[in-house]
Amino acid sequence: MSTSPVSRDIIEVKNLVKKYGNFTAVDGISFSVREGNLFGILGPNGAGKTTTLEIIETLKKPTDGEVWVDGYNIAEHPAEVKRRIGVQLQSTGFYPELTLVDLLNLFAALYDVKIDPMTILKEVNLEDKAGSFFDKLSGGQKQRFSIASTLINRPRVIFLDEPTTGLDPQARINLWETIKDIKKKGTTVVMTTHYMEEAEILCDRLAIMDHGKIIKTGTPHELIDELLSTGFKKEVERKQASLEDVFLHLTGRSLREE
Amino acid sequence: MKSRPSQWRAFLALSFYALKAMVHNPGTLAFSFAFPIVFISIFGLIGGAGQNLNLGIPDDSDQTNPIVSTVHSLNFVKVEGGATGHLEDRLRQGKLDALMTVSAEGTPPRYSVNLVTTSGNPTGAATAQSVVGGIVDKTNLALAGVKNPTVTLSQQEVSGRKFRYIDFVLPGQIGFSLLSTALFSVVFGFIALKRLLVFKRMFATPVHALTILLAQGTSRLVIALAQTLIILAVGVFAFNFYLPHGLQTLGELIIISIIGLAAFMGFGIFASGYADNENSAGPMVNLISLPQMLLSGVFFPTDSLPDWVQPIANNLPLAYFNQAVRKVTTEGGTLPDTWPYLMGLVAWGVVMYFLASRTFKWEVS
Repeated sequence: MSTSPVSRDIIEVKNLVKKYGNFTAVDGISFSVREGNLFGILGPNGAGKTTTLEIIETLKKPTDGEVWVDGYNIAEHPAEVKRRIGVQLQSTGFYPELTLVDLLNLFAALYDVKIDPMTILKEVNLEDKAGSFFDKLSGGQKQRFSIASTLINRPRVIFLDEPTTGLDPQARINLWETIKDIKKKGTTVVMTTHYMEEAEILCDRLAIMDHGKIIKTGTPHELIDELLSTGFKKEVERKQASLEDVFLHLTGRSLREE
Repeated sequence: MKSRPSQWRAFLALSFYALKAMVHNPGTLAFSFAFPIVFISIFGLIGGAGQNLNLGIPDDSDQTNPIVSTVHSLNFVKVEGGATGHLEDRLRQGKLDALMTVSAEGTPPRYSVNLVTTSGNPTGAATAQSVVGGIVDKTNLALAGVKNPTVTLSQQEVSGRKFRYIDFVLPGQIGFSLLSTALFSVVFGFIALKRLLVFKRMFATPVHALTILLAQGTSRLVIALAQTLIILAVGVFAFNFYLPHGLQTLGELIIISIIGLAAFMGFGIFASGYADNENSAGPMVNLISLPQMLLSGVFFPTDSLPDWVQPIANNLPLAYFNQAVRKVTTEGGTLPDTWPYLMGLVAWGVVMYFLASRTFKWEVS
């Protein structure tokens, strides 16, 4: 699963700044994302993760700095960028009164592409919910549908903003599988999260953000090794299983959505 | 590779699915279709009554005289009998316009007519006085044997359709429904779409922002035209509302409705940008709709308003709309007669869309 040596940077961010009045939400960050990678942006609430994503997605205008997506400058060619990306917003973003098939057809028209709604729903295991109203889905199903909607235009890169927040452990594990599948098919994924375990399992590379700045980038193992090399030791020796393992052992990994 | 996908396909899909989502919402159906039909039915039924005179004649009054029998012969006078005290109560309650007691003395009898009215009901008092006064005068002339009075009054009626309340109120109902649709469905609809990030998610696709807004407007236009047609259908088929030039008038009403709705939606988009949530939007919508409902000739003509209010009332957008609709319906005119009102609507629209462009946001802050 490691990236091939010929892979290039599909996203390049240089000295990005976003200010709201006196408040600096994003404070001069630079990073790049390699094609085919799963790149994570980690950080506590209010660190500037969502603002950074929304600038790259062309939903917000930066105060300063430059961003390229798949070779296109977001300020000069926002429409080209929008055609090449898939966007999942932090909360849903769909008409509650439409069915999943309706919503996929609507978005296919917005991207002007032809799709088979059932094929897309199958990719996220929602084919049996095709005729359900979006409103009637469970939290995990909504997130899976939201991810399905990012695939309509066969994007080069998709952005997932805290996709697993609020989900129960089973739904979270299920969503991880969906995200891994998408990556396996060659789509670059950029996601934000504040679950470290998730970042460790999913991300090829990650950036840790706080107070609008990127304070560290690297692979999960690099970052952990770097910390260990300073002589850091956990106060309590970690056991071979966590409470989450206990919970999943007792309740099973199958989805509980209905 | 084309940089923008087909805006036309996106526009049609956005309009269609916005409409589908609205129709699936039971609130839309109740507000847009049930209310106007209920309103029209109520006003259609109370409309036909016209001017009546409710006259009480106590049982102890003389009943066998020319005055009482003339009163009974007039079909717009409703006569009520009973004890004097009871009828006086009814007068005070406003159920009767006047109390008439006739007493006869001697042979041949001399009649004296006593009319009791109340200061609480000056209109009823005046009607009673002129009706009973006229009967007394005519009876005097007849009993005095005057066959050829010096002054005669003749009256010709210009032939015309009988003007009923439904004729007045139906155009106002079309206007008020369109204003309500434009305000409620745009303001609350847009705030929900912003809060649920529906707009933002659409904005993340290559579709033009203007295409998104035009499609929202178009889906509401379909609802609004359906409202106009339903109100007209109920009016025409159930209450004999009259379209002077038939299908031409119908076409003209549709054109006026499109212009009116477009102007009214400017208010809605402005309000939805100005108010961030449903709670602050409620008062704002009322602030825009209530004065217009009361002042723009929806339920009663603007002529009855105080002089200083009239210049304001007559220039409100709903007033322009109502005047345009009345021009082509009750006044029998055609579309060219309505242009001052349509220009007024366009002027309001331009102002409101300018303000809306200043306040509009794709998401709640």
